[in-house]
Amino acid sequence: MSPTACLAAAPALTHNTLVVAAGVAAVGCAAGVVGSLSLLRKRPLIGDAAAHTTLVGVAAAFLLTGRRDLPTLLTGALVAAVAGLAALVLVRRFTRTRDDAATAIVIGVGFGLGIALLSGITARGLPGSAGLEQFLLGHTAALTVRDAVLLAVVSAVAVAVVLLGLKEATLVAFDADFAAATGWPVGLIDQVLVTLVAVMVVVGLPAAGAVLVTALVVIPPVAARQWTDRVPTLLVLGGTFGLVAAIVGVAVSAVVPRMPTGPLVVLAAATICIVSLLIAPRRGWLARRHQQVTLEPPPGMRRLR
Amino acid sequence: MNPVLDGWSIDGATAMHAWAIATAATVAAACALVGTLLVVRRMSLLGDALGHAVLPGIAVAVLAGGRPGSPFVFAAAVATGLLTVWLTRLVRSAGSLSDDAGTGVVFTTLFALGVVIVTAAASRVDLDPSCMLYGILELVPFDTVSIGDLEVPRGFISAAVVLGTLTTAAIATWKLQVFTAFDADAARAAGVPVAAVTGGLLAATALATVAGFEVVGAVLVVAMLVVPAAAAELLVRRLHHMVLVAVALAVVGTCLGYLAAWRWNASAAGMIAVVLGLEYVAAVVLAADDGLVARGLGRLRYAWRVLCEDRLAAVWRAEEKGTAATAPVSLVQRLAVGWLRLTGRFVGRAGGLALSSAGRREAEMVVRSHRLWEAWLGQHAQLPLDHLHPPAEWVEHHLGAAMRQRIEAEVGAAGDPHGSDIPPEA
Amino acid sequence: MADAGSSAPPVVEFHDVTVAYSGRPVLWNVDLTITEPCLFGIIGPNGAGKSTLLKSGLGLVPLVHGTARFWGRPLADVRRRVGYVPQRETVDWDFPVSVMDVVLMGTYGRLGWFRRPGSRERSLARECLDRVGLIDVADRQIGRLSGGQQQRVFLARALAQEADIYFLDEPMAGVDARSQEQIFGVLAGLRSEGRLVVVVHHDLRTAATWFDRVALIDMRLVATGPTAEVLTPDNLRRTYAGQVDLLQEIGQAVAARSRTT
Ligand SMILES: Nc1ncnc2c1ncn2[C@@H]1O[C@H](COP(=O)(O)OP(=O)(O)OP(=O)(O)O)[C@@H](O)[C@H]1O
Ligand SMILES: [Mg+2]
Repeated sequence: MSPTACLAAAPALTHNTLVVAAGVAAVGCAAGVVGSLSLLRKRPLIGDAAAHTTLVGVAAAFLLTGRRDLPTLLTGALVAAVAGLAALVLVRRFTRTRDDAATAIVIGVGFGLGIALLSGITARGLPGSAGLEQFLLGHTAALTVRDAVLLAVVSAVAVAVVLLGLKEATLVAFDADFAAATGWPVGLIDQVLVTLVAVMVVVGLPAAGAVLVTALVVIPPVAARQWTDRVPTLLVLGGTFGLVAAIVGVAVSAVVPRMPTGPLVVLAAATICIVSLLIAPRRGWLARRHQQVTLEPPPGMRRLR
Repeated sequence: MNPVLDGWSIDGATAMHAWAIATAATVAAACALVGTLLVVRRMSLLGDALGHAVLPGIAVAVLAGGRPGSPFVFAAAVATGLLTVWLTRLVRSAGSLSDDAGTGVVFTTLFALGVVIVTAAASRVDLDPSCMLYGILELVPFDTVSIGDLEVPRGFISAAVVLGTLTTAAIATWKLQVFTAFDADAARAAGVPVAAVTGGLLAATALATVAGFEVVGAVLVVAMLVVPAAAAELLVRRLHHMVLVAVALAVVGTCLGYLAAWRWNASAAGMIAVVLGLEYVAAVVLAADDGLVARGLGRLRYAWRVLCEDRLAAVWRAEEKGTAATAPVSLVQRLAVGWLRLTGRFVGRAGGLALSSAGRREAEMVVRSHRLWEAWLGQHAQLPLDHLHPPAEWVEHHLGAAMRQRIEAEVGAAGDPHGSDIPPEA
Repeated sequence: MADAGSSAPPVVEFHDVTVAYSGRPVLWNVDLTITEPCLFGIIGPNGAGKSTLLKSGLGLVPLVHGTARFWGRPLADVRRRVGYVPQRETVDWDFPVSVMDVVLMGTYGRLGWFRRPGSRERSLARECLDRVGLIDVADRQIGRLSGGQQQRVFLARALAQEADIYFLDEPMAGVDARSQEQIFGVLAGLRSEGRLVVVVHHDLRTAATWFDRVALIDMRLVATGPTAEVLTPDNLRRTYAGQVDLLQEIGQAVAARSRTT
């Protein structure tokens, strides 16, 4: 572990850095694609609850197996993310607590449990426990080539699932009542979508960390939405923006010492988003301003009022 | 108030822990107070967003020379909080986005900005990057000022000031807050300055958030804001009761969480959130009217009542027809009969069971409900005769005396569609 | 179907349908039989449960009791043959789909999992758009249409389902008189092809001219039968100023008791 970490810490563009960047870029791309669907389904923040519970899984996986290789930790994270979403469903089903409060509860308590476990592990100085807290804010420098390949493969599978079920997902997102009335299992399709979001949140952990990984599934799709009125284009743009943001974030964090990757990826995505909100044709701020101006009565008429 | 103040068990470590607990509990109370209003107004996620978004404000203020916990930093953070809300609205309307999406974009971006600023400046200023995430409660007691001959942690003083301010503000504007939370449109129509009330709530949230930020960090503030309030909402119905219960839960949970963290040598902030979560789970299970236990019992009680009423009515109908009632078949039916006998509604007789006078009255009310409902449905719902029985079987267990009288008035003299008599009201 | 000797089973049969939302019944014991294809109106005040009735037939809300059957068979057997136009307010008009995309959704049921619409589906969709007079705006985003046009897009989507029974929930809401004529024209065309068209409708005047049969609903079935016989002043009074407060109170009493269930 440590030799690669040393290598990556150096700003030189080693083979390893490039492969890792490619893996993280694949994650950014897939997160943008999956996030576009969850934006269309009006559940952009569903990933946030999952993200904040992943820490519990990371810590538990380490405690149970004593290993800290990425596949083990991410498997734990995925189990915990799904458990967090299940908790959300249970709260909704069995209590009067409303959705927003339920989400906040899962976020707060899930993250709290994760922090408690991580701090307990650190305080006991368990062998190999150093570096677990990198999952908080993301840290790609320590990734190995095998890790990057794993991230890329999972991302590719997620994108493939989206493309396969795009027709069904679009139908449910647009008009769930009609979908149910024509016999589509809306609940099942929703579950697949939510699971995909959970998977993307988990593989996004090394890039963005538990606290910020939501941004990977929210910001690029929001930016993409400004440019298009077609679902396929939305997915392509969402994926592209996510990919660009991930590459920029990884590159900058490789150059700036001690800077966690997550915030940089998020800021890159946010920049794209702000630009999109401003200049996108038709939906953008400038375009609308322009429309308003042209819709206003000509100066001569204005004087009449 | 706490053992440090009177001199009977002062040892240094205990005093430190006591101060840390007192600080955390004060912050938790302030958060629970504000959080109650957030929860009832469905603004919980805003609390979450503010917890993250005030970070750049704090970072910039500290870089500009403010000391963490000073009024200057507080002011900067509150300003950032309000800016966040404004930005969220802007992004939402600029992108025609849903609430969630706008919030998601803004708070993650601001938090990322804050982390970058803090990390970049970590060498120059006294702001620990990890404190952003889970606070520095354990270090609070070490930064003290002297008041008289008492060394009081700065963190406790600022928490107490925040709690005092928020409590005063809450008491002063309570009626307006309640009115707005209950029905913003009606409040606006009645001349309540709804925008100002909401703005005040947002500022209060930002204030509580900043106080919590130092103690439990950006993310776990949301647990203090929302979890006790959500638990209180399950336990009591009135808003002012909710506030009191939420504050109590927050304080108790904080103390227990801190002690647990001490015991197991883990992050206090994390453990506090966990204990608050356990309190919420306890509320889900135990709440008096809506808890899982109460619901399970209620369901059982209802099933039991239906069973008993059905037995009584069966015997009554058999008497009316002059035949023998069908004997109870299942075990629960036999149990019900035993219970009815025990409570004096059935009396044993040579041929089998007979209704006592109390049992007869009860049975008659069930049959009366049944037949009145059949009559009503027959008149008003276009149901053929043979469809009337099943719905009445269901509704007969739900009608009270007043309801029966109203239905009777509407049914008029027509009587039961099958031609049986409708027993009179007892 | 056991009674093979007697006449064919009714096209749609609601048998004693009661529907409750979280324990509170909003539709009581509706018994409604539509024996043959026609243009059938469902009429009643706001909150009467008209949408709920359609949804109960389509399996979108659970029934407290009762059954809904089509040609004597449960919905699951005949799902493809039942088309649906939901009430419009549930639609996100900002959704990034074109008019053509929406109409193509009507063909998804027949396509099944994972198959994409091909040229056959496209030409069918174009045909349906043509039928409702919207072929010119096929490529527009759906938010960029007038209210009447939007309503007709959903009609076209239902047409693309090529169903034998159509459930339409207020297809005339927010539609001007001319578009109403046009929509009713299309519906009448469906009827003459031997399909049953059930329409939730608000306007009594147009109801009297267009529907063959109607049902008056107000939390329960008030009356049903041929339009002229049902739309009497007495029935209308019972529908629009009727027994609802009693039903509502009983519903509340039931909900209070069975919140525990
Ligand atoms: N999902 C739901 N949850 C709880 N109550 C509901 C739900 N949907 C409808 N209701 C209630 O059920 C009753 C009937 O509603 P429904 O939508 O069927 O009425 P409607 O006749 O279609 O009215 P409108 O003319 O306004 O469309 C109303 O009192 C409504 O408030
Ligand atoms: Mg309706």
